[in-house]
Amino acid sequence: MKIKKNYSYSGYLYILPWILGFLLLQLVPLVNSFWYSFTNFQLLGKAQFLGLDNYKKIFLSDAVFRQSLKVTFYYVLIAVPLKIAFALVIAIILNQNIKGINLFRTLYYIPSILGGSVAISVLWKYLFMNQGVVNNIIGRFGIGAIDWLGDPRLALGTVSLVTIWQFGSSMLLFLAGLKQIPVSLYEAAKIDGAGRMRTFWSITLPELSPIVLFNLIMQMVQAFQEFNGPYIITQGGPLKSTYLLPLYIYDEAFKKFNMGYASAIAWVLFTIITVLTLVAFWSSKKWVYYAGDKRN
Amino acid sequence: MKKLLTVLLVALLLTGSLFAAGSKESGAQAGPVTLRVSWWGGDARHNATLKAMEAYTAQNPNVKLEGEYGGWDGYYQKIVTQIAGGTAPDIIQIDQPWLAELASKGDVFAVIDNTMVDLSQFDAKFLEDYCTYNGKLMGLPTGTNVNTFIVDTKLLSDFGIDPNTVWTWENMISEGRKINQKDKSAYFSGATPDIMRFWFEVYIAQLAGAVVDNNKRVAFTEAQGTEAFTYLKRWFDEGIVAPFSQTSLFYQKFQENPTWINGKMATSWDWVSSMDKDIGARKSFETRQYPVMANAVNTGVLMRPSQIFVVNNNSKNKAEAIKLLNYLFTDPVAIEKLGTERGIPSTVIGRSVLAEKGMISQMAEKATNEGIAQAGDPQSVYQMNSEVIQTMQDVIDEFGFGKLTPAQASAKMIKSLEATLASL
Repeated sequence: MKIKKNYSYSGYLYILPWILGFLLLQLVPLVNSFWYSFTNFQLLGKAQFLGLDNYKKIFLSDAVFRQSLKVTFYYVLIAVPLKIAFALVIAIILNQNIKGINLFRTLYYIPSILGGSVAISVLWKYLFMNQGVVNNIIGRFGIGAIDWLGDPRLALGTVSLVTIWQFGSSMLLFLAGLKQIPVSLYEAAKIDGAGRMRTFWSITLPELSPIVLFNLIMQMVQAFQEFNGPYIITQGGPLKSTYLLPLYIYDEAFKKFNMGYASAIAWVLFTIITVLTLVAFWSSKKWVYYAGDKRN
Repeated sequence: MKKLLTVLLVALLLTGSLFAAGSKESGAQAGPVTLRVSWWGGDARHNATLKAMEAYTAQNPNVKLEGEYGGWDGYYQKIVTQIAGGTAPDIIQIDQPWLAELASKGDVFAVIDNTMVDLSQFDAKFLEDYCTYNGKLMGLPTGTNVNTFIVDTKLLSDFGIDPNTVWTWENMISEGRKINQKDKSAYFSGATPDIMRFWFEVYIAQLAGAVVDNNKRVAFTEAQGTEAFTYLKRWFDEGIVAPFSQTSLFYQKFQENPTWINGKMATSWDWVSSMDKDIGARKSFETRQYPVMANAVNTGVLMRPSQIFVVNNNSKNKAEAIKLLNYLFTDPVAIEKLGTERGIPSTVIGRSVLAEKGMISQMAEKATNEGIAQAGDPQSVYQMNSEVIQTMQDVIDEFGFGKLTPAQASAKMIKSLEATLASL
């Protein structure tokens, strides 16, 4: 009995750094921001308790929030499915036995290492601006300059491309998943006379569905919090067409110093992400297949 | 479990006491003093300031100076966060509109008086108009900064426009359109959406005195707003200015627009303090005065301190910090080292030292003198408020993207401004 106690004691000691970090750097700010969301905390000066006023303003009278929420949903709806689909297609291609395949795998992963960094965003701006590289190239084919980032109808799509382009980590997961699919299943399908498409829909995709679920949730959570790209490339413009909620939170918090209001928006965003994650989990019963499950 | 809690609590207490010990130590400093000085700027300003600080430490070996400097982006956010967290530097360079915005939130800045700094070196009205909050002097102006209209004389004459034209609102269109008529990718004005907002403010100032007055009220009528927007719409229609879809990417940095850099835009609204940076590698620029309409209420040409140096009220070494400021502003060695990196100095001695050494460029001197001659009333603190500016900008953006007619833009501008002003 005594030995057991000692073990648990030293175990806690090992995780103490993490626990401390979590308590001080995550839990405290989390609780604070929840409290601030009910106040008019301004960073400088004292906070006053406002009750639900911040939340009322968000849902009832804040047109900027509505615009920002709309744009955020569009962004997630564009970026996440395309990124996952793209990652899957590339993963299937890279799963072939081609010479030098490892080189290609590395190459396709590079964008993810570069990540949503500031430098990439600046690069993106110069690629897609009016006199940018992209317009230069299409100009050679006689197509006039397009305002990729200046046209309110196109800017969000262009900014989403940065995210989609970083499909590497999803791709890697798919690639690992593809390797796990038993070859016997494909052989059986072949004997039954299934074509490539049929094999994909009936074997590859169901076998990969747990990874699709994982990627969906991770990418969705990330996309809802996207900040770097739109902040650096378009600063939320033109006409707030790329003004994602994190940008709005940032502006309220660090430009106007309405920390209380910004915290309230952040908690609304957090709730949205949580609900959608739960929906994804709940719906997964219907479409995710785990090895050993029986399908109807 | 109980044991675990005890361990956690002890650990927490330990870390807490560590922080406490750290802060106590810095408070107990007696002999040697460390002062932190922060500013934004480019390399030239950084080097000049660091050299002046070195000269000070050479004379005052007990003082250690630490410069915290970088670019403009994010500087304001950093400063406010530092002030809120109690970690702000001892001496802070701020932009003039921040003085009221920050001072209104508490005693953030130390009060400066004649016993600490020889205030007779400064123009009294300048100190009162721009550096005073609630009757208390909160900072010292680094230099005098005025609006100027920069024109590329060669580009103008290349397109058959007399480079010596005295500009009026009308001939900016009748002459300016020649550029875009001959070259579809070239424009008379380099204005980005934020610069268009400045032009709107200038136009309204001349029509109505101000956008927002000192009584926190919108100062122009809907008809006057419509008149201003109708005029600005002609800029878009006649190719005076590039469409927002091409320029919005360069919000607050028109000088980074390749069209501007490649010499395809001839003129810009500007501050004297930033014109060198904005002109960049381009040649043949001169400065001009602003167009002023007949019966203008106010010219709308702004004059204000380039920046203001304030002393953090939480500083442990306020007296030492003010002493350093006094040195930077009045010592001939420091003045020479700082040069015109913060505009033409606002002190009498500063101007005379630099003039003697021939360090004030003719262009800057001419622009500053012409600007001072033309300068109108200072903008109200409400018009300079960052939320008011954002409100104006949002309407200008919608107007510039063609979503609002001049009449709609005017109505919306007034309505949005009233809502914002009510929330301040």
